[in-house]
Amino acid sequence: MTKTSDAPRLELLQGTLDMLVLRTLQWGPRHGHGIGQAIRSQSDDLLKVETGSLYPALHRLVKRGWLKAEWGISEANQRARYYQLTAAGKAQLSVERDRWSQLVDAIGRVMNSASAIKE
Amino acid sequence: MRPDLDDLDDEIRGHMALSVKERIERGEDPEAARLAALKEFGNVTLTRDSMQGVWRHRWFESAEALGRDIRFAMRALMRVKGMAATVVVTLALGIGANAAVFSVVRGVLLRPLVNRDEDRLVYIRQSATGLGAGGENMTFSVPEINDLKSRATTISAFGDFSTVDLALIGLGGEPRMVKAGVVGGAFFDVMGLHPVLGRLLNAGDDGPKAEGAAVLTYRFWTTSLNSDPTVIGKTIRLGPRTAIVVGVLEPSVPYPADTEIIANIVTSPHHLGATMVTNRSHRMTELFGRLAPGTSVDAARAELTALYAAIVREHPEAYSKKANIQLTVKMLRDQIASPARTILLVLLAAAAVVFVIACSNVANLILARSVRREGELAVRAALGAGHGALRRTLLAESLVLCGAGAVLGVLLAQPLVSLVSRYAARFSIRALDVTVDASVLWVGASLAIAAAVLLAYVPRLPSPHAPAGLGLASGSVRITPGTNRRLRVFATIQVACSFVLLAGAGMLLATVVALQAANTGYNMRQVLAFDIPTPAPGVAAPQGDFYQETTRRVGRLPGVEGVALSMFVPWRDAGSFGPGPQFTVEGYTPADGEENPRARFRVVSPGFFAVLGVPMLAGRDFTDDDRSGGELVAIVSQSVAQRLFPNGEAVNRHMWWTDPYFGKPAPRRIVGIVGDVDDENIVRAPAQAIYQPVRQIGVAGRLFVRAAGDPYALVPAVTRAIREIAADQPVERAATLEDIRAEVLSPERLNAFVFSAFAGIALLIAVVGVAGVLAFSVSARTREFGVRLAIGSAPRQLLARVLGEGVGIAAIGIAAGAAGGYALARVAARFFTTVQLPGAVPVLGAAVVLICAAVIASLMPAARASHVDVVQALRSE
Repeated sequence: MTKTSDAPRLELLQGTLDMLVLRTLQWGPRHGHGIGQAIRSQSDDLLKVETGSLYPALHRLVKRGWLKAEWGISEANQRARYYQLTAAGKAQLSVERDRWSQLVDAIGRVMNSASAIKE
Repeated sequence: MRPDLDDLDDEIRGHMALSVKERIERGEDPEAARLAALKEFGNVTLTRDSMQGVWRHRWFESAEALGRDIRFAMRALMRVKGMAATVVVTLALGIGANAAVFSVVRGVLLRPLVNRDEDRLVYIRQSATGLGAGGENMTFSVPEINDLKSRATTISAFGDFSTVDLALIGLGGEPRMVKAGVVGGAFFDVMGLHPVLGRLLNAGDDGPKAEGAAVLTYRFWTTSLNSDPTVIGKTIRLGPRTAIVVGVLEPSVPYPADTEIIANIVTSPHHLGATMVTNRSHRMTELFGRLAPGTSVDAARAELTALYAAIVREHPEAYSKKANIQLTVKMLRDQIASPARTILLVLLAAAAVVFVIACSNVANLILARSVRREGELAVRAALGAGHGALRRTLLAESLVLCGAGAVLGVLLAQPLVSLVSRYAARFSIRALDVTVDASVLWVGASLAIAAAVLLAYVPRLPSPHAPAGLGLASGSVRITPGTNRRLRVFATIQVACSFVLLAGAGMLLATVVALQAANTGYNMRQVLAFDIPTPAPGVAAPQGDFYQETTRRVGRLPGVEGVALSMFVPWRDAGSFGPGPQFTVEGYTPADGEENPRARFRVVSPGFFAVLGVPMLAGRDFTDDDRSGGELVAIVSQSVAQRLFPNGEAVNRHMWWTDPYFGKPAPRRIVGIVGDVDDENIVRAPAQAIYQPVRQIGVAGRLFVRAAGDPYALVPAVTRAIREIAADQPVERAATLEDIRAEVLSPERLNAFVFSAFAGIALLIAVVGVAGVLAFSVSARTREFGVRLAIGSAPRQLLARVLGEGVGIAAIGIAAGAAGGYALARVAARFFTTVQLPGAVPVLGAAVVLICAAVIASLMPAARASHVDVVQALRSE
């Protein structure tokens, strides 16, 4: 049993999974596997989403009304559930994106401040 | 919107298929790809559960999981039947005792009365606060009641009630004395009571011209008359008068007295007499009132107190300064419940202590079990069970145990309620009709839930930081110092609580033993006492001759050694004549500010002292010649002689009563001195008594017969002999002095019994607790004992070691219990006036009992420790 990737992997920050899922769905519907793969490839294999977290998150987003789901047939010729952003989901994505850039900015300032460098 | 289980499975399968396809496309072997995809996915069931969980309400999820856990808990508990049974029985005792005591407390202290608008009903009381703690209830005289009636505005109506003993003839059966209430016409309306049959008394039954009318109480009608409806309209004889039975009263709290009938004023000649109507100091009537609309009990209290002060100023002669008489007004329901309050609260505390003991014992057992389960819990934690889930597992188990305990406890409460209420009935009549009701279920359920939650938090969960490997690997029990300490703490709590209960029970038992062993100065076994009450209507012959004749006829019966008359059966008639009138003797002058001495006034016939076994110390007994018209004579008790004639010359000196009740002072020559006896108190105190001959007074009413053989065998013959003289004469309540004293003692005995029962339960639980802790500790240390034996410890040393641990737990518990009990008594003393600390004997006794119990509890585990198989012990682990 070989591991597909031995690259150092990053833990997902708490609360960012929802944002990532919304982002990957910005350009059209995908099924769960596809969402996972998209996050992985777009992060250059640095982020890997556990299925155990991904699927409950998808259902949670559906329940909140940010995604809607439809059954379709996948590339593997199997029944699969395709997820798609709703209008509320799009709005939520921009909210989360703003919050995220604020957070990155704020953390960046702390980490790069003069006193921290001297340390 | 909400996907079902098949959809979730489909979605997961779809994911797997895509994952496998991708791997195969990358060039992996199909089988390897499938395995890798599975591995990558992780726990399928868990994922599916949490997907499903998203769609559920939180509470639903917890409830469903709890249901699952409960089913699991039942299966798990079936494997440890012994432990489960112990827990359930222990909890049942704790819950049952609490539920029973609580329903009695609720029934007596909290339940409303059946009376209409009972929250408007007040009891008015006149107390002599100057005479003893709490103030003696003086009741009221008719002039006082009339004053209050005419002046009060806050009370819309007054009801009065006085108690008399009447000979009841009619209604079938033998003539008998009954307790009768005599009431004014307003009484039933004020009390807000209704008839179950016929009518009650009303204003038309008032006054001396009315026809005699009587209402039967429900108890008398159902128990003595078999609920016979034809009784209405019958004429009965009440002493010299007649009355018509007009109705039957509904079941209600018989207050102020538990009577058989309640009749109007005209049936009691005494109530029509001048003394009753005009003498302000002739107090024998209880007073009730109904608050006027819109007034509060506080307003009524304020008004009546002010009115009363005015009345006292107008009639200073009727209100002795020394007695410091005061008027109080309180809700009738509080008045009825108040004597029971303390005893019920004490009972409630005892029950709570038993519950604490039961809980800590159960906590012990569960803690020990959870230590054995540490491996299982570690496995669950490793498989992803969160802290919440683990607690839920534990909670499910304790819920099952406590639920079973509660069910059993509620079943147990049923007989306990009847026991406790019969006990509490001695303090409040309301306890008699307490029944098991829904409150028992609520108490049981809430106690069980409280216990379950408590118990679920007793075991420690496997810490996520601790290395779980060891716990997972070895199935054996490893006991940590922390667990051991907790087990011991719980065992110590049990011992401490048991000690408090045992010491309390010991104190009550010591009291009873002391009372029973006390020497009374009477011949207790062979003397029968009868009530032959006066006035006995229809007795043709004059009273003096009736007694003469009775003495003669009964004395002739075979097996009778002696006959005497008196007015007073020791202890049974206690309190019926007050503290005793004042008297003086020739040559005695009281010191300045000192009142004349008091002595009990007793009327006896010749032979009384010999029959009852009271020694004649000097002079002579009364004779048949001491009759009215002859010289007035008296016999005094030793303490009177010693106090007033310190030089021993009492005989042939004179005494006379100075109390106005006796009219003009008439000197009596002292003809004899007898030993001191105390016929009022169970605890014998020096009692000054002065005896006068029956034939100079004319009334007696009590017959004493000294039997050669079995006293009770004489009862029919004595009754027959008296009825031959007077056919309608009631002859009642035959009992030996010994049995009378035991009867009077029975509340004390009952107190001791109830508390001993609580203490016994506590002791039993504590023994189980200590034994359980030691047994567990020993089984967890098998290896240690094996090593000790292997390197040369004698088995006896191990035995002593484990016994020592048990005694150690008991000793610490006793010390804690003594300290806690003392503190508790100090706190209680602030709220109750009658808190006693037990003496040295009960405390030491309780300590000895507990140490012995600890030794017994330790014996089995100790024996097991000393018989450890060395080879086996060393091989294990």
